[in-house]
Formats: sequence, C-alpha cells, structure tokens
Amino acid sequence: MRQRHRTWTLAYAFVAPTVVLTVVFSLIPLAMLLWRSLYGGGVFDASPRFVGLGNYGQMLEEGGGHALGVTGVYTVGFILLTMGVGLGLALLLNSGAPGVARVRAPFVIPLVVPVVATALIWANMFAPQFGLVNRLLRALHLPQADFLSSPGPALVAVLTFGAWQFFGQNVILYVAALKSVPGDVLDAASVDGAGAWRRFAHVQWPMMRRHTLLIWVVTTLTGLQTFTQIYVLTQGGPDGATQTALYYVYNEGFVQFDTGRANAMGVALFLLSLLITITQVWLLGRADRAR
Amino acid sequence: MPASLIARRSVVYLLLALAVVIVAFPLVWMAVSALKTDAEIINPAAPLLPAHPEWSNIGRALSQAPFGRWYLNTAIFGVAATAGQLASGLLAGYAFAMLDFPAKRLLFVVALSGLMVPFSAIIVPMSQLLGELHWLNTYQGLIVPNIASALGAFLFRQFFLGTPRELGEAARIDGASELRVFFNVYAPLARPVVAALAIILFLQNWNNFLFPLIVVNTTEMSVLSQGLSVFQSQFTTQYNLIMAASLITIVPVLVVAVAAQRHIIEGITLGALD
Repeated sequence: MRQRHRTWTLAYAFVAPTVVLTVVFSLIPLAMLLWRSLYGGGVFDASPRFVGLGNYGQMLEEGGGHALGVTGVYTVGFILLTMGVGLGLALLLNSGAPGVARVRAPFVIPLVVPVVATALIWANMFAPQFGLVNRLLRALHLPQADFLSSPGPALVAVLTFGAWQFFGQNVILYVAALKSVPGDVLDAASVDGAGAWRRFAHVQWPMMRRHTLLIWVVTTLTGLQTFTQIYVLTQGGPDGATQTALYYVYNEGFVQFDTGRANAMGVALFLLSLLITITQVWLLGRADRAR
Repeated sequence: MPASLIARRSVVYLLLALAVVIVAFPLVWMAVSALKTDAEIINPAAPLLPAHPEWSNIGRALSQAPFGRWYLNTAIFGVAATAGQLASGLLAGYAFAMLDFPAKRLLFVVALSGLMVPFSAIIVPMSQLLGELHWLNTYQGLIVPNIASALGAFLFRQFFLGTPRELGEAARIDGASELRVFFNVYAPLARPVVAALAIILFLQNWNNFLFPLIVVNTTEMSVLSQGLSVFQSQFTTQYNLIMAASLITIVPVLVVAVAAQRHIIEGITLGALD
C-alpha cells in the first residue's frame, strides 16, 4: 500500500506542471473571457456593468460582422491555395523523377524564418512604384496598383503572402501521406493498366483521406489565426478590408481598448476553433469506423 | 527512355523549379534591396541590382537599434520555453502512459484541453491576468505561460504506450525506484522524439510574435520579431535599412533551418499527422 502511494505521489508530481499551467494559463483565461464578454465598458472603466449579450450585438454591428466575413474569405482562400499547391508539389516530389525526392529544404524555409522579416520583404515587393510587383506589371504594360492601400488588392496581397509562408508545411505533410500508401497496392494498379491519374484518383486519394482530414484541420486553424502577416502588411486596413476576427480582437483589445467587443469576438474565435476540432474528431471517428 | 516519359519529367522539373524560384525570390530580393543606396532604393527606374553593393547598410541598421539585446531576449525565451515544454510534456506523457493513479482520466482531459483553447482567442484575458501577476515585461511572463504543451504531453504519451512494460518490471524486480525506472530506463528511449520536437518547438518559440506583443511593450524586453516591427515603423521609407534589418534576423535561422531540415520535417510530420 505504501509503495502504491509513493507511485501516486510521483505520478502527480509528473503531471502537475502540465495540468496546473494549463488550468492557470488556458482554462482560467478562458473563463475570464466568457465571463467578461458579458460585461460592458473599456479597460479604464472602474465598475463594469452587466450587459448580457450586448457586446456581441455591438461587436457584430461595429465591424465584427465584417471581420468574420473577411476571416471566412481569407481562410477558404488559404485552404484552397496551400492544400492545392501542397498536394500538387508533393505529387511532383513523389513522381519518381531522379533527384526530386530530396528537394525539400526550399519548402521548409518560408515556414521557419521569422514571419515579421518575410512580411517586410513582401511589403517591399508590393510597394507602389518601385516595388517588384509593380515593376513587373509595368514591364508587361499591365495596370499597376497600390496594393496595400486598396481594399481588394490588399486582401489578395495578404493572402498571397500568407500562402507563400505556409504552403511548405502542406508539401511536407502530403509527401508523408503519399509515402504511407503501400507500394504493392500502387504496383497492382499499374499492372491492371491504371495510369498516373487513375492511380491517384482511385488509390492514393482515397487511401490518404485520413491525412487530408488532419491536414485540413491544421490548415484551417492556421488560417483562422493569421495575425503577423496582417499586422505587418496592412494593420487590418484599408477600411477594414483585411481585418480578420483575430486582428479585430487585437485591435479592439489593445488599440481601441474596448475589451467588451474584443472579448465577444474572442469567444466567437474560440467557438469557431472548437467547431473545427469537434468536426475533426467526428470525421476521424467516421473514417475509422468505415475502415 | 520513351519520349513521353522525357516530356513528363521535363514538366516535373519545370514546375518544381518554378516553385523553388517563388520561394527563393523574395529572399534574394531582400538581399539585393538591403545593399542598395538610399537613392537607388526609392528610384523606380533604378536597375534591379545595385550598382555598388552598399555593405555599410548592415552596420547602419545594426547601430540604429539594440539588436544584440533583442537577440538575447529571444534566445532566453526560446531556450527556456522549449526546455519547459519538452520537460513538462515528457513527464506528463510518461505518467499518463505508464503509471496508475486516481483521477487519471480527468487530469488527462484537463491536460489536453489546452489544445481546445487557442491562445489567439484569449489574448485579452491573458494580458489582464499577467498584469495582475505583475508579469508584464518580464522573462517569467514570456516563458511560464508557454510551458504547458498539450501536444507534447499527447505525443510523449503515445510514444510511451508503444514501449514494452517488461523493461520497467525487470528494473523494479532488481530493486529500482519508480524515479530510477523513469530516468534510467524509459526517458533515454524517448530521445528521438525529443530531438524531432525540440527543433520545431524552438523555431516556433523563436518566431512567436503575437504572444510577446501582448506581454511586452518596452524596447529592452522586446524579442527580435517585435524589435524588427518597431524598426520598420521608425524607418518607414528607408527600405534598404529595413531589408538589412530583416537580413540580420533571417540569416541565422536560415542556417539552422538548412542544417536541421531533416529534424524539422520529422517534427512537423509528428506534430500534425500522428
């Protein structure tokens, strides 16, 4: 019995750092977020008053609804670009052409160098007049744009940079996914006369469904939480055109000091992520049952 | 080789070359822009390459801001947070996989709940909480909230579930304490997982921007990314200096990334697909 108690003490000591720090720095802030989203006023108000869901209504009317729309457009674009390019390049790397299987370093680089630094490069490339993109457009006799100060082009610029920064991760993950497809199954398909496209559509793609699901979840959560790209390139402007939900939380909370609205959007962001995680668990369970 | 294969391979090489150019070009553009003179950089008609590379731009950028201090802060934060994440994850993962104790399931759910609460949703209450602790603008404020790693605990638990229980039993029969069983028998087995996670966690911490942004607002406590963004707001139109400053922050990471690419790729795959 004493032996057992000593094991318990050791076990609690081992899990304590993770459990205690998770409670203090994830669950308590989450409770504060939910609770304070129901109280009005800014950080400077001495006595916040209970406003129920008032902050949520205000948030949606005062730019928050628009920010959620921008988040949707950005995230969908981000998923399509990074997963499409990621899968395409992984197929090329997996094509068996001599030497290509080892070419992976270039795709890791944008992912791991500081985003602020690469964002500054892209800001420079998108600059009016002397920026690289406009020089290129001028050389091709195409209309130029002041990318970062016009609403539509600004969102395109932020999305282009966001995708450039992240797509390498999906290349790496899809390369791993393609490797997990057993070679003998592919060989059997080839013997049956299936070409590259049919091998992909009928063997590789269905066998990678679980991977695609996991990649989709990571990509979606990354897209939802895009921040640094926007902070450096546009600060949410012009006119809120690139203000996503997270940027809205930051702007209301740390620039405008309206914590009520910031917290309401924080809750929305939390629920969105939760919804994606629950969808993942549900889809994974269904995929596992189907096998 | 049949002609169709040659044609197909040419397309493969061409597309891959295009992708590599798209990745590399911004970095080349940075280097080129960093070496332009003040006049060249804002002249739309100036040639793409500088006539005479202005190497002094790098020294000028370095002398305009405390990059040394920012490097030091980033290193302290990166090393301490990564070590904390690995240690706490290793210990918790081991306990959840190999030891039995009351309320284990509940505590495991609590440990994993960190995955459900993205930091970005709680930036406002987090900064208020750290303010109440008087931890804003301190190293502990930067480091401690980042130590719990739900992903680490989960991955180490998965790893230990796959190790044979007989190893521990044999050591216990020989009279080893539980602590010795962990340190001498099981912890060394986890070395490959530690290696794969260490580099990717370190790079994530090194590049973290949003967390330091809400915890630190003084120049002397800023991390490199933050400092760079302040540098940019002060030298808005001196693009050559801004690019020189970016160069200073990118090059060391670039060297590490190329040298450790195999571990990085392993770490990314481990974190997302297992």
